[in-house]
Amino acid sequence: MRCELERERLSAYLDRELAREDYRDVAAHVGSCPRCAAVLADLREVGRLVVASGREPPPKELRGRITSALASAGERSRSGTWPMRRTRVLAQAAALLIACGLTALVTASLLVRTDRETLIARDSVAAHVRSLLQGSPTQVASSDSHTVKPWFTGRLEFSPPVRDFAAEGFPLEGARLDYIGERRVAALVYRRRLHVITVFLWPAQGEGEDTARTFRHNGYNVLAWSKAGLAYRAVSDLNAEELRQLTALL
Amino acid sequence: MALPHMAAAFNLAYWLVKNRTDADDVVQDAFVRAYRAFGGFEGEDIRPWLLAIVRNVALRWLHDRKRAGNVISFDEALSQRSLEAPGVVQVASDEPSAEAALIAEGERRRVHRALAELAPIYREVVVLREIEQLSYREIALVTGVPMGTVMSRLARGRDDLRAILIRQKAKDEPDAV
Repeated sequence: MRCELERERLSAYLDRELAREDYRDVAAHVGSCPRCAAVLADLREVGRLVVASGREPPPKELRGRITSALASAGERSRSGTWPMRRTRVLAQAAALLIACGLTALVTASLLVRTDRETLIARDSVAAHVRSLLQGSPTQVASSDSHTVKPWFTGRLEFSPPVRDFAAEGFPLEGARLDYIGERRVAALVYRRRLHVITVFLWPAQGEGEDTARTFRHNGYNVLAWSKAGLAYRAVSDLNAEELRQLTALL
Repeated sequence: MALPHMAAAFNLAYWLVKNRTDADDVVQDAFVRAYRAFGGFEGEDIRPWLLAIVRNVALRWLHDRKRAGNVISFDEALSQRSLEAPGVVQVASDEPSAEAALIAEGERRRVHRALAELAPIYREVVVLREIEQLSYREIALVTGVPMGTVMSRLARGRDDLRAILIRQKAKDEPDAV
């Protein structure tokens, strides 16, 4: 025997498990190589001996034991049928109940959310209008974001992003503090021609990125969205179309 | 109930656990599992699946036995027992002479002992191929190894078995060497 592969091929040849060409190759080789022919004869003899030794005969009682094992297994599964079915019905009922409960919860939370959404929109409009009734809508009047942004420090628990969009037609007028939805918020004041725009922002709780929602209240447009952990409300008498341009910039 | 592959199942179980009592339990367990899985045992193509289940049950059995720590005593007990209590004599139906029957029985015991001595991974493929006449593909299915591995294990198993048989013969008949 020259190598492992040779032995494997001879063994597979014996079992007729070689591909056609392989089989022919080995057959030709064995015909001309007495060494491999001897190995093959040995393998064949080992096989013959094992076949002759036969199966280990099963005990006579095994058939009966299997049959009764199967019968008792079947019995168990049959007796398990009715309680199984009842359990399934109960599970379905429970699932239905849970589904109802969840629907109710979602509806309630939607209602509450809508309610709160409207409340904040109203607050925003009120704050915007109030700021216009006073002498100046800003507490810090500057178009320089490096003046406005530091002004918030110490006045808010967060630092709002402040940028001037004069180039885009939304010059920054300044900023102030305001009170929306029962919390202190930053208010940035922009101008579009003669329209004043107030952008309120505060840290959003549990709100991710959001597509903008539009509200109309007493002739004012309110755009609501959230971005990078901050909730935004933009309020103006400007048309919603142009207001959306600003929200895209922020 | 018809249990067509019972003899094959028992033979494989026996050669895996090397103990008739355990093989009996293994086969019962395997048939119950197979019945749950297939709803019956008819058809030739179910044989490899059934044998695969037998093998899995037997391996778990061996694992548990090993954990119980009495693997050696069982192993020794079984080879003693199977020598003392031989099964059917294969050539009996041919009404051979008493002498021929004796020689055949002696040979059977010798092969039995050699197979028992063979490493388990080679023993199972030799049993499945030579005794159960399974194809390489079917053996691969039963043992869960690739066909190439079946091929190499079978070659190695036959070679080892041949070596064991030669060694036994030399020991049993020192004059003949």
